Amino acid sequence: MTDAVRAVRLRKTYGVASSAVVALDDVSFSLRRGSVAALLGPSGSGKSTLIKALGFVSPAEKGQVFFDDRLVVDDGVAQTDLSRLRRQHLGFVFQKANLTSFLNARENVELACELGGKEQGRRRARDLLSYLEVINREDSYPEMLSGGEQQRVAIARALANEPTLILADEPTAALDSVRSRSVMELFRKVAHDRGAAVLVVTHDHRALDVFDVLYEMEDGRLRPYQGQGA
Amino acid sequence: MNLAIRDVRRRLARFVGTAFGLGLLLSVVVAMQGIYAGMVDDATILTRAMHADLWVVQRDTHGPFADGSRLDPSIEARAASVPGVKRARPYTYQVIQREYRGDTMRIALVGLGWPDDAGGSLPIVRGRGLGQAHGEMIADASLGLAIGESLVLAGEPYRVVGLTKNALTSGGDSVAFVSVGDAELVAFDQPAEATQLERSRTVDRLRRTDLGRTQPSLEDLLADPKWRAPALASPPLAAVLVDADAHRVAGVRETMRSWGDVTVYSQDEEETLLLGGVVQRARMQIGLFTVILTLTAAVIVMMVIYNLTLEKTHDLAVLKLLGAPRSRLLGLVLQQSWLLGVIGYAVAYTIGELFYPMFPRRVLITSTISLVAPIATFAMVTLASLLGLSHVLRIDPARALEG
Repeated sequence: MTDAVRAVRLRKTYGVASSAVVALDDVSFSLRRGSVAALLGPSGSGKSTLIKALGFVSPAEKGQVFFDDRLVVDDGVAQTDLSRLRRQHLGFVFQKANLTSFLNARENVELACELGGKEQGRRRARDLLSYLEVINREDSYPEMLSGGEQQRVAIARALANEPTLILADEPTAALDSVRSRSVMELFRKVAHDRGAAVLVVTHDHRALDVFDVLYEMEDGRLRPYQGQGA
Repeated sequence: MNLAIRDVRRRLARFVGTAFGLGLLLSVVVAMQGIYAGMVDDATILTRAMHADLWVVQRDTHGPFADGSRLDPSIEARAASVPGVKRARPYTYQVIQREYRGDTMRIALVGLGWPDDAGGSLPIVRGRGLGQAHGEMIADASLGLAIGESLVLAGEPYRVVGLTKNALTSGGDSVAFVSVGDAELVAFDQPAEATQLERSRTVDRLRRTDLGRTQPSLEDLLADPKWRAPALASPPLAAVLVDADAHRVAGVRETMRSWGDVTVYSQDEEETLLLGGVVQRARMQIGLFTVILTLTAAVIVMMVIYNLTLEKTHDLAVLKLLGAPRSRLLGLVLQQSWLLGVIGYAVAYTIGELFYPMFPRRVLITSTISLVAPIATFAMVTLASLLGLSHVLRIDPARALEG
């Protein structure tokens, strides 16, 4: 399997002069297609900053990001249309599901299909909702869905464009342990079944066995996870 | 997938409520503009309806509408004899108030120089002009009189033979047209007792003069039942309306100007006198209020649209994060604003059609208002959308990640 994404020596700083905080400190990272990785670490360690950098939402000031072995960001400068890259090759899952409030479950997924240029969006959306076992709620609006159902729809939406990379930022923070594990297992299933690379930011140590690779961040530095108390 | 329609569908009740509110606001603004236009039109409609080239009035007055004008009736014949004059018509004007069918009825009574002027130039929408010198009336439809109905004035019945539309004075009073002779009868109507007293006083005065002593037959005139108390001479006119050959109007006017007892105005000048004098303050007041109301409505409409956009900030941030192209986001905001504008305008139009005719003052929706109102509405909602869009375009998609 090739690398879905590869970051080389990313550096990002918030603030200036004496109040400057280094959020990413020479972070290098790669993730292969078909693998699911967890990113752990305390609050403020730089996890979300890394997710934003890898998702081309808020690029790092220094360093390079390669996507499918193609240089797409070089020292903070986009080398391609990042919006297009996001809608065609990336999937996002957030702490809150962040479904579009005025679209029902099926339409949320269908819109992502449409944005990703996928044909037969409606059928594809229904297939994905079936795959994630929420097809029975396809006509429900987000506010009518439970937290777990919302996250399933959000994952279906993230899969809509057959993404190369799925970035999930604390997707189970609002869920109980049973539903939390269920969602993590879904990510694993998605990675293995569909060949996507999945990076999940999480504080939940109870489902780490689900992941293929574990990383942790501290003070803007990334390293392999060494276990609790390490 | 049309996001604007789906957003509307999801929040239909609120959207319809907002559109209805917008429509009410627009209807008030349009009504105010219509009232202003109506006031300006009402102020001049009476002069325009007479289709006269020149208005001859008492010297140094702005009559007959701006201030009182009393012309000797002989002016009519004098004007008619001026070379180039095709027709000279007597004209009287007075406002009367009567009780009719339990309501107070204010009527601007205009005297027409029948038979030369039977009201053919008036905006008659039903019936006909005056067919005889006495006892007939052309009334404005706003008085609520029907063709064939009779109104008693000065003890005599006046049968309505024609109805005009929007023949109103600058004060909003409805106009009725009768012959000059009838108008004078109404103007100088007195109770029998008052006539008797005035007659005996006049006989006493006559007997104390040489004229009365040398010509006692003059007393016979006072016994004439048609005698009117104020004077033995014919009552004065308010104005004489002159129609002249098109190429000789200026010459006719110069000739009349040389007379010492009249002032002559063109049709345009007469209208300017009305707009600049009689209704000037009311016009400015309503005009300023209309401007303020229009600006206020514009700000409210824009704030409503702008806030509708701001409410979508989070949804738009998520859409941006998903990679939705800018045109998609612009479409969502613009289409919804335009839909709001269209529905709002339709509501305002419907309200106007249903309720403006019930307003006590005429609401005149001119072609300019009909054209400008939808364009202004479209411009307002578009401008508001653009303000909202400038906000949307600045949204950091990372906000979606912040939960």
